[in-house]
Amino acid sequence: MSEAALERQIRPIYDALDHGSNKSAINACNKVLKKYTNNTLVKALKALALTRSQKVEEALVLCDEILAATVTDDSTLSVMTHVLKGLARNSDMVAMFDNAFKQQPQSEELGAQTFFAHVRTGNWKSCQQVATRMHKLFQGDRYVYWAVVGAILQANDLGTPPNIRTLLYKLAHRHVTSCPTPSYMAVDRFHLHLIILQELQLWDEANTLLESDIGKSICSASLVCNETRREIWRKRGLYKDEGERAQERIKNNDRNWLEFISVIDATFASMQQPDVSEEEKSECSENIAKTRDFLTEIAKVDGSNNRSASLALLELEKNAFSHGISSDESTLVDSMENYFSQFGDKACCFEDLRPCVDLCADAKLRWISFLASQESSFATTGDLQRVINVRKLQRISLTASELSTDKELYLTSTYIEEYMAGLELGSSLPVTELQPVDDLAILVGHAFVSLWTMTKDESYLYNAAAVLEFALTKSRMSFQIRLLLVRIYRLLGASSLALDHYRAINIKQVQNDTLSHFLLTRALTFSLSATGDLTYPSECIESSQIYVSNSQDTPDFIIRAFTSEKYSQIPEFVSFDDRLENSLQRDVVKLEHVRMRMTHEPINSDLIDMELIELKFVFDRFHHDNRDFGMLPNYQPACQPSLNDQTLMFGNSTGQGWLWYFIKIYIRAFQHASDLDDIVEEKLLIGDRPKKSPEPEVQLPLRERLAIRKPEEAAELTADELQLMEWATAVSDWLEPYHDYTRPPPAVVLAEANKQNELRTGLPLRGVDLKALNGDANANGHAKKDEDAPPVKEPPQLVAQFFEHMHARFVQLQQSQSLPSDLLHVATLTQEAFLLFAVESHRFKTASVVKIYKLGALVQSLKDIRSKACTVLKTMSNDLLKIAEVAGSAERRKSFVESCKPITDFPELHHDFVLNIAKNVGESRKKVLEGVGKGMVKICTNYGQ
Amino acid sequence: MSVLRPFKANDLFRFNNINLDYGITFYLTYLQRWSDLCFTQESPRGRLQGYILGKAEGAQTEWHEYRRLSLARNMCQRLEFASDEIYKGYFVDLYVRCNNALAIKMYEGMGYSVYRRVREYYGNLGVGKGGRDEEDAFDMRKCLSRDMAQRSIRSNGRDMIVSAHDVS
Repeated sequence: MSEAALERQIRPIYDALDHGSNKSAINACNKVLKKYTNNTLVKALKALALTRSQKVEEALVLCDEILAATVTDDSTLSVMTHVLKGLARNSDMVAMFDNAFKQQPQSEELGAQTFFAHVRTGNWKSCQQVATRMHKLFQGDRYVYWAVVGAILQANDLGTPPNIRTLLYKLAHRHVTSCPTPSYMAVDRFHLHLIILQELQLWDEANTLLESDIGKSICSASLVCNETRREIWRKRGLYKDEGERAQERIKNNDRNWLEFISVIDATFASMQQPDVSEEEKSECSENIAKTRDFLTEIAKVDGSNNRSASLALLELEKNAFSHGISSDESTLVDSMENYFSQFGDKACCFEDLRPCVDLCADAKLRWISFLASQESSFATTGDLQRVINVRKLQRISLTASELSTDKELYLTSTYIEEYMAGLELGSSLPVTELQPVDDLAILVGHAFVSLWTMTKDESYLYNAAAVLEFALTKSRMSFQIRLLLVRIYRLLGASSLALDHYRAINIKQVQNDTLSHFLLTRALTFSLSATGDLTYPSECIESSQIYVSNSQDTPDFIIRAFTSEKYSQIPEFVSFDDRLENSLQRDVVKLEHVRMRMTHEPINSDLIDMELIELKFVFDRFHHDNRDFGMLPNYQPACQPSLNDQTLMFGNSTGQGWLWYFIKIYIRAFQHASDLDDIVEEKLLIGDRPKKSPEPEVQLPLRERLAIRKPEEAAELTADELQLMEWATAVSDWLEPYHDYTRPPPAVVLAEANKQNELRTGLPLRGVDLKALNGDANANGHAKKDEDAPPVKEPPQLVAQFFEHMHARFVQLQQSQSLPSDLLHVATLTQEAFLLFAVESHRFKTASVVKIYKLGALVQSLKDIRSKACTVLKTMSNDLLKIAEVAGSAERRKSFVESCKPITDFPELHHDFVLNIAKNVGESRKKVLEGVGKGMVKICTNYGQ
Repeated sequence: MSVLRPFKANDLFRFNNINLDYGITFYLTYLQRWSDLCFTQESPRGRLQGYILGKAEGAQTEWHEYRRLSLARNMCQRLEFASDEIYKGYFVDLYVRCNNALAIKMYEGMGYSVYRRVREYYGNLGVGKGGRDEEDAFDMRKCLSRDMAQRSIRSNGRDMIVSAHDVS
């Protein structure tokens, strides 16, 4: 058949792939391959179709075949790029292009592809080398800059020691200066040049560049270059020059706040060093006067159109006092009062003034009485905003001695009154707009939360919920109100309501990373997955989609930035990719999902092996904490913890320490239950291993790392979680010798995996030489070992008594009127321990294992513990069902409404409205308490025997 | 007033108080192609207040500012400056919901005028409280120095109605 005929046959394969019909693509490939057995393009297309239909093993076999011969034709290479990307085998991709480029060193396209393959793996050293080679072969300035970026990125890598970093920047510098065209030919090249000079502190060269006409013109048009220029100026200590430059710009109507910062910095330039002479002090004093005149003039011209100069005046007086130039704060308070008079009707006024309110006694007294003298008016939204700003500024200045339940109760009614008074002002706004009064409702929330923390009386949280729910009926887009409700409902154990509000915020894209902590932190507490309700596990999976799209898309943009020479963007893109890829929240959610998964999926070797491998990957990462806690506003008095801290469920969130502690529990339990050791894992692994953190601790052997305990990490756990940790450690220590002794050797495990694979795909496991592994071990199962079996020991006391202890704790909480979330916490941790115990004893369920290794006595101890645990779980479940019944009862609703006495006097917050909230809260609590209770019984039935 | 600075990819982690409606690819496309037209505004106390993403259309003849997500005069001025100086465009334009009277007024104050009304630019919302004005957009334009004859604007723009398919 001719070339053309072959092409005619291949086209339908592409079509099928384009339309997502992988099955017909595979069939079409098979048909062609009958005639052209060795056509690599068709093989590659088949591999792609197989990958897309999740037939990974078969795809891998084909990949190996294709890659064994060097591929050089464009179509096959491009198809293979997709295949290997899909299989996460970037290292294979690198090798493929490396080989191809070696074969055809004259191909510029192959060189570029090789470079991009290295970009994908983040191997910046190779990037730099390939780019240098490309420059030699094909000339072209861009390759010089590719090499420069490669060197800079390698230098910025966490694992690069400081001396090598400097060396790499020097290399980059050599590249840039040896390039025939000067860097100022393109803005992004110029920027790169500046960064290098900044790092190497080559100030003279930087000066020449920046002071040249072209340099000046680039900086005036390019914000990114100007930003670097400003940094360089500051590092050189040229505050005065920069200040003068900034004054010029301000005179020319530039109101960028950065210019004002430069003016302030220049004013205090002489005060920067540690020992300041009297002379320098008086010089600074003169400067202050000059700057004051300058800013006052600008402020006068700008009036209320622009607040920059007025705000800069505040900064000036604040610094003058903190540097000891002005002796008292009265001028500062003057400026604050002026500022408030002029900009009090703007929402930003509070934020602007906040850093200034930490005043000494006299000044504070004056400031407070100034605020108190402000009259409340609700004639315009500007007036309303003034009231809001006064209330916020007053609230943050409250002292511990002023705070009492009476005071807070008085404040709540003031806030509500003013909220109702201002409501009318926003009545004509479209529903998509925020109401101008929203912040007063949020202040009510603050005061009630504060009352709750003072008294531990949960009825204050009911009040908060009712007022905030009311405010939402007026302003449904307010995410701040919703977030506060999410927090309050979680505390109250009304988890379905928390979920509803969280969903209504409509979290999107990267926000899944930064905000999901509001909902998913310790979500196991509320998960009903044991009863088959997979709401929370699905939330975990959905919120994790962003990481998939990041790893699919972002590397492409890094590559595109290279081709379009947008060098200024590349380090940002790389860091963005890294921050999402190695996000702390990603792995906290991952672990939360594993915890939930165990409650509803059968615990078998598939689950154990897979999660073990994945958690070990997680354990090797260098994490970035992208969680945003600043989304909850904070107007609590300075003497109190922030609203965020006050409303965190169980008083803390789950950060790195929590993740490390829990991951240690799970890795160890899974390790025991799994037959995978390192040799087997290596053989069965499909994609590349993720980049390992350069931290020294991560380089330690896994066994040692698992044993590390740090107080600062432990501090992120609740007391009950710490109990679980101690118990899990004791269980693992106790059972480890038996696991190690009875675990089948790698040869046996691989033989079994091989058999399974043959059954599934008809092909043996690739890359496994069974004979070599086998040695003298017989492959039919549990061979007796030479060393003696470890003697069976009684379980340590801690292990045996844990469940009774947790029960006692549960009873104690019930008697002390604690929040439902606290009860659920203890119950779900007890359940978690039970499931971990099922994992740890999984191996000893096989009768033959027990018989061969004579572990009868051990199994008996396990059985005893399990049956005790079951009794405890069933009792807890029973109690939870009873509490659920009460939570949903009419009496409880009634008492909810009664305890909302502080607010029901307001006609808008009438009895029926509050009753409705009471009903929702009651039903939601009932649902979760009942669901968790029922789930516990189900788990007992599954693993109780 | 605020800090006006380039929009950076890592800002995406901080834009939680502002709409973040699109996928990673949307933002990275803008940054990778028109980074000099992407700005963000940060308050003196470090809170991000808004961003503007501009794009240059065609062979440097015209360009569109696309997503206005915060009221930020500075950013518009910066955008006008960049499109004038760097891209040598004829005009700047932006889209705004027809019922967003506040924003329209602000833009008019800045020298923009309605060029045309784009039917169902924000999707078909059905007959709701906002009605047509909520789903339609005004395409507002302002001439740059290159358009000396002011051919990019017209006085009867509000009556010129096009469908969303006709605009890119």
